[in-house]
Amino acid sequence: MTSTSPDALVAGTQAPWRRWLRRHGWTLGVWLLLFLLIAYYATLIPRFGAFQVASIVNNATPLVFLAVAQAVIVIAGGIDLGVGGMLVLSSVTAARLMEGQPFGVTIVLAVLILLAAAVINSGVGWIITRSNVPDIVITLGSLYVFQGLALAVLPNPGGGTSEGFRWLFTGSDTGIGTNPWPAAVMMTVAVAAVAWWMGKTRSGLSLYAAGSDRTAAFLSGINADRVKIMAYAVGGAFAALAGLANTAIAGRGNATTVGGNLTLNSVAAIVLGGVALTGGIGSAIAVVPAGIILFFLNPILTAMGVDPSSAQVIQGVLIVFVMAATGIIEWRRRRQA
Amino acid sequence: MSTDLIPLSEEEAAVSGRQKAARYLVNHPHLVLIGVLVLLIILTGLIEPNYLSINGLRNSALFAVPIGILAAGQTILMLTGGIDLSAAMIATGAAYIAANQSPQGAVIAILGGLLVGFLAGAANGIGVGIFQVNPLIMTLAMSGILLGLFTSWAQTIFSGSTRMGDFIRTLGGGSFFGRAIPWAVVVWAVLSVFVVYMLRRSGFGRNLYALGDNPAVARLSGTRAWQVLIIVYTMAGVFAAIAGLLLGGRVGAVDLQLAGVFLLPSVAAAVIGGTSIFGGIGTYTGTILGALILGVLQSLLTFLGAGQAVQQMLYGSIVIGLSWLYTRISAAQ
Repeated sequence: MTSTSPDALVAGTQAPWRRWLRRHGWTLGVWLLLFLLIAYYATLIPRFGAFQVASIVNNATPLVFLAVAQAVIVIAGGIDLGVGGMLVLSSVTAARLMEGQPFGVTIVLAVLILLAAAVINSGVGWIITRSNVPDIVITLGSLYVFQGLALAVLPNPGGGTSEGFRWLFTGSDTGIGTNPWPAAVMMTVAVAAVAWWMGKTRSGLSLYAAGSDRTAAFLSGINADRVKIMAYAVGGAFAALAGLANTAIAGRGNATTVGGNLTLNSVAAIVLGGVALTGGIGSAIAVVPAGIILFFLNPILTAMGVDPSSAQVIQGVLIVFVMAATGIIEWRRRRQA
Repeated sequence: MSTDLIPLSEEEAAVSGRQKAARYLVNHPHLVLIGVLVLLIILTGLIEPNYLSINGLRNSALFAVPIGILAAGQTILMLTGGIDLSAAMIATGAAYIAANQSPQGAVIAILGGLLVGFLAGAANGIGVGIFQVNPLIMTLAMSGILLGLFTSWAQTIFSGSTRMGDFIRTLGGGSFFGRAIPWAVVVWAVLSVFVVYMLRRSGFGRNLYALGDNPAVARLSGTRAWQVLIIVYTMAGVFAAIAGLLLGGRVGAVDLQLAGVFLLPSVAAAVIGGTSIFGGIGTYTGTILGALILGVLQSLLTFLGAGQAVQQMLYGSIVIGLSWLYTRISAAQ
């Protein structure tokens, strides 16, 4: 292996911007796609204004947070089918405890719920590392447990939260309004924090190391088990954040929401966002537009005059098409190399 | 030499006996599942003495049938490293078409239902086998596509009957020998013989294990992965359709939520039965035991009068507990 392949030489002499493009091409592409879709949507409907923007940003928030939760765990080499259950559990717990409370108390409760979710989900991670049972199996179990707990906490849809708390996620005390900024700031701050953690800090980078090659990570002195537990803890907190957003938007909790479907949406979102299900590849920043796009397809298709059930068909076909296209691109790239 | 002469104390004999038993269990992991199954049946019998009758056991068996047949598809797919998240929706769609075509006679209704499974399964196989789409994503998207299609078809070209024909109702919920043996169990038994024979004795079965164990080596040994994958996904689709027909026959009327609750149990049954989700390891016999355990568990939870909340929590804990136990046992091997 002393001779250098011509490919590597080319890569070495490539202009920095081309290398940057190669690395971040997917992220850039998904963001571009989102803006194109928004521009297209603006031409489709008679009035495109603050109300529409606020509606998209607010209602996409839970899916975006859930997708980030899934992304953190998948990048670390796991997969968590339980995130949807955690969303429902956190949402109904918040709705039950926050009903009739003043703003300050609801904030304290929210923080406590996030911490509890992190602890509970790190327990799930601990079970996975201790038992050596595949992630998908254990988290299938945790999905059921969370969903059952949610039903126990709030048997009938109801509960509530403070007006200030609703404003925090929706920009309005009633959940409907024209102010997208609080939700946008929430999303930006949370995602920027996790992206900084994963890209710049030692413990965050260890997620990528453990996710791409466990043995190599172990040999370089990374405790892969601890990394996985950490990833599940962070993922659990983000899933709970998605649940809080859900409660703030709806103004109540509903334990009969099917967590499994939400989980599946989160998986679809991270795949569209360029996260490899095999672990070690992807970024939280690309997952955000992917989550918004997945949510956004529904209003677009409705505006185009497509009925909701056909919209669902088109959404499924699009996901398969994107995946098949990337599969073919990957395959051609490998052939050329 | 000296150890031979010293007689074992009673305690030592007991220890070596226990070790022997442990080793035997490690070599025959299915015995653990059978033990759990028997234990659950006895436990249920203690709580509700009426359960230990033909009627009680038949109810558990009827509940296990759709799980077991769906899990047959999951098992053969998991052996190749795949999974089918569209199985429940395929089952629902097949039942829907069968109910819709029931006025045309049982043959057309059943063929129509199986055709849904064939087409959806083949599409999954083409996506995974040829276009290299991740199985999780492919079948997830297929599930969404089918739900959308059937929701709109239910109001347009397939509006009309949602009631199953009498023949399928008998097949799904009826029994013979004085209500002792349900027809659905017979269908499951025939399918089980086919699947077990295929996995153990046929070249195709060996291809599945090879592909899941090491795709690169399988390819170098002449396995055409894409062909195997298309066939196995199609087969899983047809199995799901059969499960849907039986379930629809038992329930009588079909809606688009018919089989949804059976998706995760079908995965759980295969996993409890010792099939590895990463491929290459597993048997259908284990899956059958897994499905039966889940069936008895359902009866137990019903008798306990446990609400939906407790049922789901227990269900999840048991999936975690049993898979942990099973992994420990097979790790000791």
